[in-house]
Amino acid sequence: MRQKSVYLACFILHFLLIITVSFRETLWLVARGLTIFPSSSKSYSARAEKATSAARGHDLAASSALRQALATYLHLAGIERGYGYFAPNVPESYKLVLELHYPDGRVEYQLPRVNRAAAGLRVAGLLDEIGRTRYDPLREYMVKMLAYSTWREHPDVTMIRAVFGSISLPSISEFEHGKRESYEFLYAYDFSRTDKATEVETP
Amino acid sequence: METWRERILQFLFPAGSDTRLAVLRLGLGLQVILYALSLLNDWNYLFAATGSGLVSRNLGEAILSLESPFVPRLGWLIAFGAHVGLGEETVLSATWICLLAAGCGLLAGLFCRCSAILAWFLHLCAAKSGAFVSYGVDNFMTIGLFYLMLSPLPDRYSLDRRWRKFRPRDRQWTWRAPGDMDGRAMGPSERERASQLLGFYRRVLQLHMCLIYFFGGITKCLGSGWWNGANIWRALTRPPFDIVPPEILVRWKYFLPVLGISICLIETGYPVFIWLKKTRMIWLICVLGMHIAIGLTMGMYLFALVMMVLNIAAFGPNFSIAGTKGYVGGRKSAPV
Repeated sequence: MRQKSVYLACFILHFLLIITVSFRETLWLVARGLTIFPSSSKSYSARAEKATSAARGHDLAASSALRQALATYLHLAGIERGYGYFAPNVPESYKLVLELHYPDGRVEYQLPRVNRAAAGLRVAGLLDEIGRTRYDPLREYMVKMLAYSTWREHPDVTMIRAVFGSISLPSISEFEHGKRESYEFLYAYDFSRTDKATEVETP
Repeated sequence: METWRERILQFLFPAGSDTRLAVLRLGLGLQVILYALSLLNDWNYLFAATGSGLVSRNLGEAILSLESPFVPRLGWLIAFGAHVGLGEETVLSATWICLLAAGCGLLAGLFCRCSAILAWFLHLCAAKSGAFVSYGVDNFMTIGLFYLMLSPLPDRYSLDRRWRKFRPRDRQWTWRAPGDMDGRAMGPSERERASQLLGFYRRVLQLHMCLIYFFGGITKCLGSGWWNGANIWRALTRPPFDIVPPEILVRWKYFLPVLGISICLIETGYPVFIWLKKTRMIWLICVLGMHIAIGLTMGMYLFALVMMVLNIAAFGPNFSIAGTKGYVGGRKSAPV
C-alpha cells in the first residue's frame, strides 16, 4: 500500500505539471488574441497565464533550486511544452535565400542545404524559429550561422547577402484565380570576409 | 474518502499484461532506428558546434542552460570525449552509433533496460542540443522513451527473457518486474502486484495521450481556420509539407472543412470516446488513420510512426502471440 501511495504522489505531480504546461500554452494563445475568443477575454487569460507560469516556477529566481529542478524534470520527461501543433492556426512559413557574391562579380543564389528530407524538415523548423524570434541579435546570429555554413562549401565567395522572408500562401479561391505563393521580404543581412562582424563567435 | 482513494487506486493499478509494453518497446526501437538512419548524413552537420555545423550547437545549449544547467546535452559528451582525447566529430559519430545500437537493442529486446535508458539519454541530448532543429517528433520520442525506461522491462517477448533468461528484480521500487510473471518462484500476490505495476504504466501512458489530444484538439478548435478547411489547405501547401500538388487539393475543396472539423472532433473527443467500449476501436482507427494521412501527405513519417506506436501501446487491442500466455496473475488483463 505504501508503494502505491508513492506511485500515486508521483502520478499526481507528473500530471499536474503536464496540465499546467498545456493549459499555460492555451492561455498564452488566448491572451495574445490568436484565437476566436473575443478580445475581452485577453486580460483574463493573461492573468491566468501568469498564474500558471508561477505554478511552473517562473516567478522564482533563475538560480532557484526549485525552479531548476522543475525545469530539469520537465525536459527529462518531454513535457516542457504543450501540444498545440498547427494550432490555433497553421503558422507562417519562412524562407532564407543566400546571395553568394564572387570576386569576379558573379552572383549565385542558394538555399540552406541538407542531405536528406528528414533533416530538411528540421531546417524548415529552424527557419520558423528564426522568423518567430523577436530578439534581433539572436535572429542575426542564427542567420549568420546559416550563411557561415554555406561559406564553408564556397570558400572563394567574398560576400553573402542573407535575405530572410515569409512565404505568403494563397487561399483556395485565390489559388483557383491563378495566384501562387509569394515571397515577402522581412530582413537582409550582409556578411563579408573582411567584415569584423562576420567572425563567428560563441554566444 | 477511503472509498474514493480505493477507487482511484483500482483505476490506476489495473491488472495488465506486458503485451502492450512489448508494443511500446518494439515500436520505439523501430522509431529510434529510423530516427538515427534518417539523420545518417546530416548528424554531425546538425549537431556540431561553432565552425562546422549548420547552426551552432553552443547556441542551443546556452539557451538551455538559462532554463536549467542539468538537462542532458551533447556538450557533456563532447566535453568528456575531449577529456579522454577524442575530437568532437568522433564523439558525435560515436553518439550516433550508440543511439542506433540502443534502437536495435530495444527492437530485439536485448539488454532492454540499458537500451531504453541509453536511447532516452542520447536522443534527449540530441533533441536538447539541437533545440532549434527539433520538432514535435522529438517531444513525443522523449515522452515515449521516458515511460519505456521506467516501465518494468523486460517483457516476455524480448530476447532478454528468451535467450538470457533474465529475470531482474526491480530494486528501485522493490516490486518484482514482470519478467517474473511466468509464475516461477512467485506467489500469487507478487504476480498480482507485478501485473498492477504494468497496468499503472499503461494507465499513465493512456492518460497522457488523452491530455495530448485534448489540448491539441481544444487549441485547434480555437482557431477559425480549422472550421472552414483553410488550415488543412495551408498545412498541405506549406513548404516543406507540400507533397500533394495543390491542383489535386483544389478538387477536394468541399471536403477540406469536413476534414478540419473531423480532426477537431477526433482530438477533442479522444479523452471521452477512447474509454467507451463501443467507440474505442472506432476512435483508435480514426486517430491512426489521421496519423497515417499526416505521414503520407505531409512527409512526416517519423512523427506519424511515433504517434501510432504510442496510441497502439496505450489503447491498442491486447494482442496475444501464439505460444505466449495471455493471462497474467491468474486473471485476464483489464480490457483497457
